[in-house]
Amino acid sequence: MTDVPYIQVPLWYLPFLVVIPAGMAAGVVSWLKHRSKNRVVREKDPDWSIPPLTQGSGQGTSLIHRWDVRCKIVTMLAYSFAVASLRHLDAAVAAVLVSLAVLMVARVSLHKVVLRLVALAGFLGMLLVVMPLTVPHHPGDVILVFGSLDWLGVNMRGVILAATIAAKATAIALLMEPLLSTAPLPVTLYGLSRLGVPDMVGQMVLLSYRYLHVFSHEARRMTAGMQARGFVKKTNMDTLRALANFLGMLFVRSFERTERVFDAMQARGYKGRFPEPGQLQIRLPDILLTGVWIAAGTALVFYDCTNV
Amino acid sequence: MEEMPAGGHPTSAFPGTDVSRSPGACQKAGSPIPLFRMQNLWYAYPDGIQALSGVDLDIFSGDRIALVGQNGSGKTTLIKLLSGLLAPALGEVLYKGKNLADEHLDNSRLTIGVLFQDPDDQLFGHTVMDDVAFGPRNQGKSREAAALCAEQALHRVNLEHLAYKEPHNLSYGQKKRAALAGVLAMEPGVLILDEPTANLDPGQEAVFLDLLKAFEGTLICISHDLIFLYELCENAVVLHHGSIHHNYTMRELVSRRSALREHGLDFSFRLRIPANGVPAHDENGKNGRGTLSDAGASALDDPSGHAPLVRLKSYGYVYPDGTSGLQGFSLDIHAGEKMAVVGENGAGKSTLLACLCGLRQGQGDLYFTGDRVTRKRAKNLWRRVGMVFQDCADQLFCASVQEEMLFGLGRLGLSPEQCRERAADALARVGLAGFENRVPLHLSGGERKRLALGCVLAMDPDLLILDEPTAGLDPRGEELLVAILETFDKTLLLVSHDLFFVEKITQRTVVMHQGRVIRDLPTPVFMQDDKLCHLNGLSFSYRQRTFTAIQKLQHEHEHRHPHRHIHDHEHRHDQTVHTHPHEHVHDHPHRYVHNHPGGQKNHDHARRRVHDHDHPGHDAEPHDHPHE
Repeated sequence: MTDVPYIQVPLWYLPFLVVIPAGMAAGVVSWLKHRSKNRVVREKDPDWSIPPLTQGSGQGTSLIHRWDVRCKIVTMLAYSFAVASLRHLDAAVAAVLVSLAVLMVARVSLHKVVLRLVALAGFLGMLLVVMPLTVPHHPGDVILVFGSLDWLGVNMRGVILAATIAAKATAIALLMEPLLSTAPLPVTLYGLSRLGVPDMVGQMVLLSYRYLHVFSHEARRMTAGMQARGFVKKTNMDTLRALANFLGMLFVRSFERTERVFDAMQARGYKGRFPEPGQLQIRLPDILLTGVWIAAGTALVFYDCTNV
Repeated sequence: MEEMPAGGHPTSAFPGTDVSRSPGACQKAGSPIPLFRMQNLWYAYPDGIQALSGVDLDIFSGDRIALVGQNGSGKTTLIKLLSGLLAPALGEVLYKGKNLADEHLDNSRLTIGVLFQDPDDQLFGHTVMDDVAFGPRNQGKSREAAALCAEQALHRVNLEHLAYKEPHNLSYGQKKRAALAGVLAMEPGVLILDEPTANLDPGQEAVFLDLLKAFEGTLICISHDLIFLYELCENAVVLHHGSIHHNYTMRELVSRRSALREHGLDFSFRLRIPANGVPAHDENGKNGRGTLSDAGASALDDPSGHAPLVRLKSYGYVYPDGTSGLQGFSLDIHAGEKMAVVGENGAGKSTLLACLCGLRQGQGDLYFTGDRVTRKRAKNLWRRVGMVFQDCADQLFCASVQEEMLFGLGRLGLSPEQCRERAADALARVGLAGFENRVPLHLSGGERKRLALGCVLAMDPDLLILDEPTAGLDPRGEELLVAILETFDKTLLLVSHDLFFVEKITQRTVVMHQGRVIRDLPTPVFMQDDKLCHLNGLSFSYRQRTFTAIQKLQHEHEHRHPHRHIHDHEHRHDQTVHTHPHEHVHDHPHRYVHNHPGGQKNHDHARRRVHDHDHPGHDAEPHDHPHE
C-alpha cells in the first residue's frame, strides 16, 4: 500500500466533486425517464398509408437507411466488438463520437435513443459509484481522500475504468437505433437469416415483438382485475400465492394464444416459412461504406493498442 | 379414444330432430357434388371432451350457413375440421369431392378463408400491410401482386389509410376489419367466420354486416347473435352436444321458439325493444317497463334528497402518452339507481370505470357518498365498488371456484366462517352452487361470467359496475344474467352496446363521446330518441329492422277457434287399431306462433291452416275420419 499515493483534499470538495455531479446526473436521468413516459402525443399522426421509412422530412432516406441490411449487421456487430475491446478512455470517447456522428447521419428518432440510454443509465451509474470505491489498489494508483474520511478513498483508476466501460457501453447502445430502426424489423431479420441465422430464430423474434404488446396488455388487465378485488403487493405468503396464480394464468393464456396464432397462420397457408419481405442486393456503395466503417473500427483499436 | 354410441347412427338418438335436409339441398338439387361433405364426423379433444359426435352435413357452393348452438356445442371444432386445422378422429371431410388431407389440404387452405374470433390471434404481421399480404404471398403471388391484393382488400374494409401501422396500435374494430382484409385478400371461395361481431359497437357491426353481405362465395358463420345471422345467412344448422339437431332455413329457425328454447337460443325475450319509437307489445299490450313519464320523473333527480353515491365534477383523465380519456366530465350517480353508459368504442367508457374503481386517478373532483376521494381513499374504493370486466378471464386466476370467491372476501377482514357463508350465498345467487371445486378455466363462457359476477356480489358492493356483460354469452346465458341482475337492489352502472340490456336493466342512460357526457336521459326517452340510430357509432337501424321482421315471424298468443291437426297416433276404428297420419278439426284454446301483420292490426287466423302445438290427452279422444 506504500506505493499508492493518497491525495487529501478538503471535505468541502466532496459535494462539488461527487455529490452534486452524481445528484445532477441522477436528476437528468429521472427527468428523461419521466419525459419518456409522459411524452405528449404527436399532434399530427403520420401518414400510415405509405411505409414510415420512406416518408418525407429526410427520415428513411439517409445513407444508413439505404445500406444493405446484411452489410449493416455485419459491420455494426464487428465494430461493436472492436469498441468493446478498447481499454483506454480516450479511445472509448472517440468511439462515442463516431456513434454520435452515425446518429446524425441516420437521423433516427432522438427520443428512442434517449430511451435506450436511460435504460442503460442505472447499470452504468452503479458502476460509476461502486468501482472507484472497490477496485483493488495497484501500485501507481491515485487515491483521493476527502478531509478526514479515510474510509472513503476514491481510486482514480476505478473512476477511469468505470468511465471507459460507460463510454464503450454508450457507444454501442447509440448504434442500436441506427441498426434496428433504419430498416423494417422483418427485413433486418431476413438479413440475419441470409447471414446464416436459422429462420426459426427470426420468426420467433418477429412474433415475440408482435405479441409482447398483447401479453403485456393482458398482464395489465389481470393486474387491474386483482386490484379491483383489493390485492396489494406485500411481503407475505398470500402475495406469493396470488402472484403464482397470476403468472400461471398468464402462462396458460399465452400458451393458448400461441396455439390460436399458429392455427390462424396455418389457415392462411403458412408452411413453416414467412414470405421473404423483399429482395436484398449488395451494391458498390454498400461495400464502400462497410470498408470505411471497418477501417474506422480498426483505426480505433490500433490507436487504443498504441496508446500507452 | 372417443366413445361411439352403440346401435347405429348417433344423431338418430334425438327425438324430434330434423336433420334430413342439407343447407341448399332444395335449391341445389341439380348440383351433384357438395362443396363440403362431412360424413359421420367424430372428434374428441385430448382431455377427453367429446366435441363432435357423428356429424353429417353437406354444404353447397354459394350457401350462407349459420352454425348456432350453445357454448360448448361443438361449433368451433366443426369449423376447425372444415378448414383442416383439426383432423377428424373418425369420418371424413370432403372438400370439392376430395378428402381434406395432404396436398389437397394445403391447396384448400388457400381458398378457404377463416376469420377467428380474436383479431389479435390473426394479426401476426409487423404491419397491417405485411399481415394482409401474408395470405396472397403464400398463394404464390409475387411481392408486387400480393401488395396489390392487400391494397384492394384494405380498400374494401376502409383501412387503406392505416396500411403501414403496427397492428397492436389499432383499435379493436380496426383490428377486426384488418383481420377480415387479410382473409379477403386471398379471394377465398369460402369464408368461415367465428363470432365476427363479438365486442364490436353497433356502428362497426353494421359496417361488418355490409362487408359480409357483399361477399359472393360460400359463407359459414358462427355467432350467438341471431339478429345478425338473420340478416346474413339463409340457412341455420343447430348443433347440440356435438351433433346436428336441426337444419333449417334461417326464417324457420327464428320462428320456431320451441326449437330455439330447446337449445338455449331463444332470444325472443329481446324482441321487445321499441323500434324507432314504437314500443313493442307483449301479451297484455305493455312493454313491461312502466311508462315514460314514470321513468322520466325519477331518473335524473335524487329521490331521497341525500348526497349522490358518486359525484364527478369537471373530472379529467389524460393517459401518459397524452391521449385524453375524460375531459370536463360531470356526473351524479344516486344510491339505488340503475344507470347505463353508452358510446362508441373509444368514447372513454373504460377510463370512466377505471376511475370509479380507483384503478386510475385523474384531475378534478370525485366524491363517494359525499366524501372527496383522495389518492389514499381511492386505494380503498374496491371495498365499495365492484366491477365485472368485459373479458372475465382478466379477473379469474385462481385454481378453484372457491379460491376465486375467497380472493376478494379474504381482504375485507371477514372471519373465515363469514367468508365461506358469503361465498356460498353468492354462488347460489349466480346459479353456481356445487361448483366450488371446479377449475374456473374449464367453465363455459356463461359460467365464467356468472362466477366473475358472483365474486363481486359476494363482496356486497354499494356500486356494481358491469362492462359489456353480454359479450360472448349465448341467449340462455343472457337470460340467466338478466334474472340475476333483476334481484340486485343496489346501485348499478352498466356499460353496454346491447340496447336490450340497457332497456331491460336501467332507468337512466348517459351517452358519452370523446370523454364527455353528451346526453343524460331517462332510458325510455333515450330508447325513443329518433336520432339514436345515427348517434356516434350507435347505429341500431339494421337491428331494429330485423327485430320487426322477426317479430312478425314469431308472434305468439292464445286463441280459441276450430282448427286442423295432422295426427300420427294409435287409434281405434271399430275393431281395428292402427296408426297413420290423418287430419281432423278441433276447437280448443292453444298457444300459437304464426305470421302476423304487425302492431295491433286485426288479423284472421285461417281455419284451414294446420296448427303446430301440443295436444295433451288427444289419443283418448274418439276419432271419426274416412279411410280410403
